[in-house]
Amino acid sequence: MNMPSQQNKGRPGGRARRRRNPQLSFRPSFPVSFPVSFRQALWRAFLPALLAALLLSACGQRQAPADPQVYQSRFLALGTLVDVNLWGVDEDLGARAVRVVEEELDRFHRQWHAWRPGPLAELNRRLAAGETVPVSSERLALLRRARDLSLRSGGLFDPAIGGLVRLWGFHNDDPPNGPPPPAAAIRDFLARRPTMEDLVLEAAPDGASGRVRSTNPALQLDLGGFAKGYAVDRAVERLLALGVRNAIVNAGGDLRAVGSHGDRPWRIGIRDPRGPGIIAALETRGDESVFTSGNYERFFEYQGVRYHHILDPRTGHPAAGTLSVTVIHRDAATADAAATALFVAGPQGWRQVARQMGIEQVMLIDEDGRIHVTPSMNQRLIFQSEPLPEVIETPL
Amino acid sequence: MTRADYGVAAATLLLLVLLYTLFWSESRAGFPGDGRAEAARIATADGREFTLPLDHDQILELAGPLGTTVLEIRDGAVRFLSSPCRGKLCIHAGWLRHGGEFAACLPNRISVAVVGPRTLYDSINF
Amino acid sequence: MNRTPQSGRTLTLTPTREDLRIAWLTALAIAIHVAESALPSPLPGAKPGLANVVTLAVLFLYGWRAAVWVSLLRVLVGSLLLGTFLTPAFALSLSGALASLAVLGAALALSRGLARLSPGLHLGPVGMALLAALAHMGGQFLCAYAFFIPHQGLFTLLPPLMTLAAFFGFASGLVVAAMLPHLESQPPRAAAAPEVQDREGLRP
Repeated sequence: MNMPSQQNKGRPGGRARRRRNPQLSFRPSFPVSFPVSFRQALWRAFLPALLAALLLSACGQRQAPADPQVYQSRFLALGTLVDVNLWGVDEDLGARAVRVVEEELDRFHRQWHAWRPGPLAELNRRLAAGETVPVSSERLALLRRARDLSLRSGGLFDPAIGGLVRLWGFHNDDPPNGPPPPAAAIRDFLARRPTMEDLVLEAAPDGASGRVRSTNPALQLDLGGFAKGYAVDRAVERLLALGVRNAIVNAGGDLRAVGSHGDRPWRIGIRDPRGPGIIAALETRGDESVFTSGNYERFFEYQGVRYHHILDPRTGHPAAGTLSVTVIHRDAATADAAATALFVAGPQGWRQVARQMGIEQVMLIDEDGRIHVTPSMNQRLIFQSEPLPEVIETPL
Repeated sequence: MTRADYGVAAATLLLLVLLYTLFWSESRAGFPGDGRAEAARIATADGREFTLPLDHDQILELAGPLGTTVLEIRDGAVRFLSSPCRGKLCIHAGWLRHGGEFAACLPNRISVAVVGPRTLYDSINF
Repeated sequence: MNRTPQSGRTLTLTPTREDLRIAWLTALAIAIHVAESALPSPLPGAKPGLANVVTLAVLFLYGWRAAVWVSLLRVLVGSLLLGTFLTPAFALSLSGALASLAVLGAALALSRGLARLSPGLHLGPVGMALLAALAHMGGQFLCAYAFFIPHQGLFTLLPPLMTLAAFFGFASGLVVAAMLPHLESQPPRAAAAPEVQDREGLRP
């Protein structure tokens, strides 16, 4: 085909008049040799490869994250939104690390959920029945930790008052709708008030397991105000074991940060409980947890009165006088329990409880919007709101 | 230079004037490095994720399992205007305008994260 | 006709005169390209673009196709020499070159059409260089915005970048205008038979 026009291609050294019909140059016509211009050869061999490579590299570049050095993932776990930031990990390690965190938090959530049917509900049922319940060493360690923190807080952080939390209707995914519990029911609960001292923990001689029993049938464990911190600690432990050195694990606003964002520290914004926006910024150092308990986290309103979820075990009612407490401490479990205990202690009593619990960095915002801080906390916070809020610094 | 050359030169000057008035007028929000965020990354209940610029004011209605959540984008910031959840934590978060700021309506499965060239906060505590 | 390769069949590469000419000019453009990359640059993407002088000279002397070859080979080999092949820098360079070649092709066609109306209406080196420089910057910018920095703030950089492009485009246009009379007195280009008609209406 196209025989005549192919003739001139065979002329040694002749110019192929291919410009008008580039198709022709793709057909070899002479058995021995045929001359091809260098540029023609380039077209054939190189151009398709170049185009393919370009296409591939362009596709790979498209998904540029906002901060390419940070591997970030958000997912639902512990019944809240968990946000994991990792610095200086490759795609592979990042994905593995996030999977490990998710797995750890999920496992924890299933084991210690306060009201859904599961191991904790079963434990509570058997404790209420007066049984001595064998538990694994892992669970024993957690209960021991919770008991210890509760005792150090003077009982203001009290995981034994699951019954009271249920009475207030907070054992539900949605905040309660109806009226607060009748005064008589609360009085009745306070008369039988269980504390963590009623929980007897015994390690089995083999050390691999233990036994738990309760001396108060009203004792119902609810690890809110502790479980999140404890779970975040476990998640961070597992990240470190994987070789991740720089990370933030943020579970529904409470976080533990290790390492840094490369050449600068991790920057945390603390949300203002009094209104929208950020009240203060904070740069984390090394390995520490930032936990906040606020009255805005879970609450319901009935006949114009607001009832929030942080209950004072002494009164049986939501703790009064405080908007929020932010605590910085090395481990998340302690920070979590302390934020709860100091919130319950209120603007008057928080310093003493902080001393008992060994907490040095605290910010408490009272119901009038005044900001109480410890000196070591004040040094670290960079207040963001304009005008600068009134800050009351008092040593512990 | 030919007459056509002069024409091209004049057109070039015109183009430059146009570019300066378009991109160098007083609204310079979003200039790289000034710390202001320029986009909101929004994730919805049906698993969609999309990014919207913060320099175009708009009201967004997003469907979730509980109903419609309304987001407002204005003056380089984004907020939850209304949401059918009971806690209203998302609305409480207020305007998000700095890179790294984040709010979510968990019951209605809608989250908003502000992304910026310079992250002001790596994580938000509340 | 049997199209399958048979044993004993060889592929002989015979450089044509045009091949050689393009190779020489490309080598010149590459040398300028590489030398220029060593200059410090105050703004990313802001370079004098002196290699475009060669592209323009080729456009006027040997036509658009030759200019395409010289320009694209320059981008390709330049990136291989500088080690930027298939990196963002290469993509930017290539998109700039493609945009400016496309605009030059269109301008050339337009210029010929206008020249038919009135001889003074054809585009000279300065007009061509301006168009090429603006298109080069515009192409680079769009590529950067589309693939690398999809960021509204990038547009703030557009006016100063375009100003620089216009300035350097104008300058290189003057250089080309000064060069062309000397180059056109060189005899060998007469051998470029197919391109002769391409040059009509092009002379400054």
